[in-house]
Amino acid sequence: MRSGDPCAVVSGRHTLGVVTDTPAAYAVSDLLDILDLREVGTVHTGWAVASPSESPTAAVTADIATATATATAAVADLAVEVGAGSRVARVFAGPSQKQRYQRTFGGQLLAQAIIAAGRTVAADPAGAGRPLHSTHTTFLVSGADADEVHYVVEPLSDGRSFSTRRVSALQHGTLLAIVTASFQEASPGLDHAEPMPAAPSAESLPNVAEALAGVPEPYAVVCILDGPIELRHVEGHLYAGARPDHVARQGVWLRSRRPMPDDPIIHAAFLAYASDYSILESVLRRHGTAWSDPRLRQASLDHAMWFHRPGRADEWVLHAGHSPSASGGRGLGLGRMYAADGTLLASIAQEGMLRLKG
Amino acid sequence: MAAAGVAAGALANVLANVLANVLAKMGSGMGAILSVPRDSLTLMRLPDSAADSVADLLDVLDLTCLGEARIVVEGAPGDEETDLGESTPIVFVGRSQKQAHGRVFGGQVLAQSLVAAARTVEPVDGVARPIHSLHAYFVRGGDDNHPIRFVVERVRDGASFSTRRVQAVQYGQTILSMGCSFQEPADGMDHQDPMPPAPDPDDIPTLAEALGEHLDPSAAQFFAARRPIELRHVEGNIYVKPGRQRAARQSVWLKARAELPDDPVIHAAVLAYASDYPMLEPVLRRHGVAWQDPRLRPASLDHAMWFHRAPKADDWVLYTMSSPSASGGRGLGVGRMFSADGALMASVAQEGMLRLKEG
Repeated sequence: MRSGDPCAVVSGRHTLGVVTDTPAAYAVSDLLDILDLREVGTVHTGWAVASPSESPTAAVTADIATATATATAAVADLAVEVGAGSRVARVFAGPSQKQRYQRTFGGQLLAQAIIAAGRTVAADPAGAGRPLHSTHTTFLVSGADADEVHYVVEPLSDGRSFSTRRVSALQHGTLLAIVTASFQEASPGLDHAEPMPAAPSAESLPNVAEALAGVPEPYAVVCILDGPIELRHVEGHLYAGARPDHVARQGVWLRSRRPMPDDPIIHAAFLAYASDYSILESVLRRHGTAWSDPRLRQASLDHAMWFHRPGRADEWVLHAGHSPSASGGRGLGLGRMYAADGTLLASIAQEGMLRLKG
Repeated sequence: MAAAGVAAGALANVLANVLANVLAKMGSGMGAILSVPRDSLTLMRLPDSAADSVADLLDVLDLTCLGEARIVVEGAPGDEETDLGESTPIVFVGRSQKQAHGRVFGGQVLAQSLVAAARTVEPVDGVARPIHSLHAYFVRGGDDNHPIRFVVERVRDGASFSTRRVQAVQYGQTILSMGCSFQEPADGMDHQDPMPPAPDPDDIPTLAEALGEHLDPSAAQFFAARRPIELRHVEGNIYVKPGRQRAARQSVWLKARAELPDDPVIHAAVLAYASDYPMLEPVLRRHGVAWQDPRLRPASLDHAMWFHRAPKADDWVLYTMSSPSASGGRGLGVGRMFSADGALMASVAQEGMLRLKEG
């Protein structure tokens, strides 16, 4: 699953020289439009208990052979235990944003899954008025940007204060990502927040279009200009080359390019989308590399986000990032998002596959 | 068991008042709330020694494979997109450690789910794929008297990664939902946060010594010796009294109290188990709250863990934690686990529900 700057990763699997179209051909469709999901219907997921001899993998063959007697005796018990029977899941569909490298952007799947989950929670009498407070995502394979993505939303629980949903993002029956999302009734409680790190104001920094002026890197220019989120890097962007300071932290100001409706879950979806642009850049920066490095092979593996306080994605948000570790071809990025007044809005974690080939 | 007899004797009141309350709250799963009967410890089956407590944990992690279940997903009529057909998850079963409150300890079901998933990941061309991450939601509280079924879906086996989804199930309902990922060893960029300075674990009081300040020393000794994980708080524990400083960070040395088998899955599982104990303490410390505070209503909501380097859980591990935020009845803890020689083995994040109820 691709993440990071959706344009700069062209330099990964796809050769820079291949793409020669004019910018207009790659205009990114508006994020608000693709969050307006269409409800497709419902699916039924049934659990049953199979005969233990049915095509087990080699590793468990022996276990299953020895467990056959137990399993047979336990079939009825197991059917009850695993909740055999039918469950109903609602299904939504949304279009994909066109991307220069023809693969769906991870942030898009995350944002659409959040909207899909939120619609089923809001529709539930118990869930109405429960804002999103966390998501955990596993990215499996990237999708095709020409096709719609389907979101199957299964209820995991609707408790006294929390509602939990599991969302499967699918294309043509292939699982692209699994997003679990939790919603909680507003509640008072202990309150503290780590202060916002010092950073120059967004207004004092060049926007990426200005920063890229004169740089022979048309792809990043095109995508960043056409993208729904405006970005301003405190330590300089990584679209056109590496930076001399090899530190595992950075700050990026971001905001939606256009005003947004007041619906809090739309803002949460935008922030989740935007987090996927830059959360791994603290790893790249630490190792003196950049999105434009032709050796870079990169993919998002997972994503976790905790929404601490409501915030607006159409006002400046500082995304402060740090990488505690990279090893074994993977790097972990941690981030915090602050409103310009210093309010801590969200915390983020993402592990990415990051390799330099050749 | 001998433990029950001891607890039923002169120590019962002290233990029930203090330690059962602490035990009941620490790392309790979603919904594990929390009126501990005075005599609950007399019903507990506690191991007789440190070695027994580790053997008991290993037994809990030694799951039995029951066979395959079948999940059928019928697509919406006329929509081949969502017609997923059938999948055949593998089902394991395991038992629980007894808890004072009757609820399964979150770290236990997390560790068992990790083991269940790992047992379905086979070496590819002779190359094993160790776990590198897990993400779990504690959906409901578990019953410690009832076996837990672990339904493992083999979501994907790719060229270098394998992905699994585990649902821990009791009475037909999911108590924990976890995704985890395994990767064949690879080279790449390498860096890590340095280990912060910390006093030597041998210079920090043991749990028994620390609890002895508040309790009959024999009661403290009895209690401390029966846990599989030894914890030594660098800034002092907050079981009975709040910390001296209202800081949203702390460090704990921890390790299994006996040697573990040479199996990386077990070491990863024991680190996951141990990580759930003190993860929310930076939030409590920041707000001057002790576990024993009768107003405290805690529950773990989720848990994420990234294994950066080979896990080893039976040598000292420095677990450094901080809380970036608490709000809306929830608090977030993030942590890092270093081996004693400074290697960053794992990063951890957990959100908990933390309410202070008056009256």
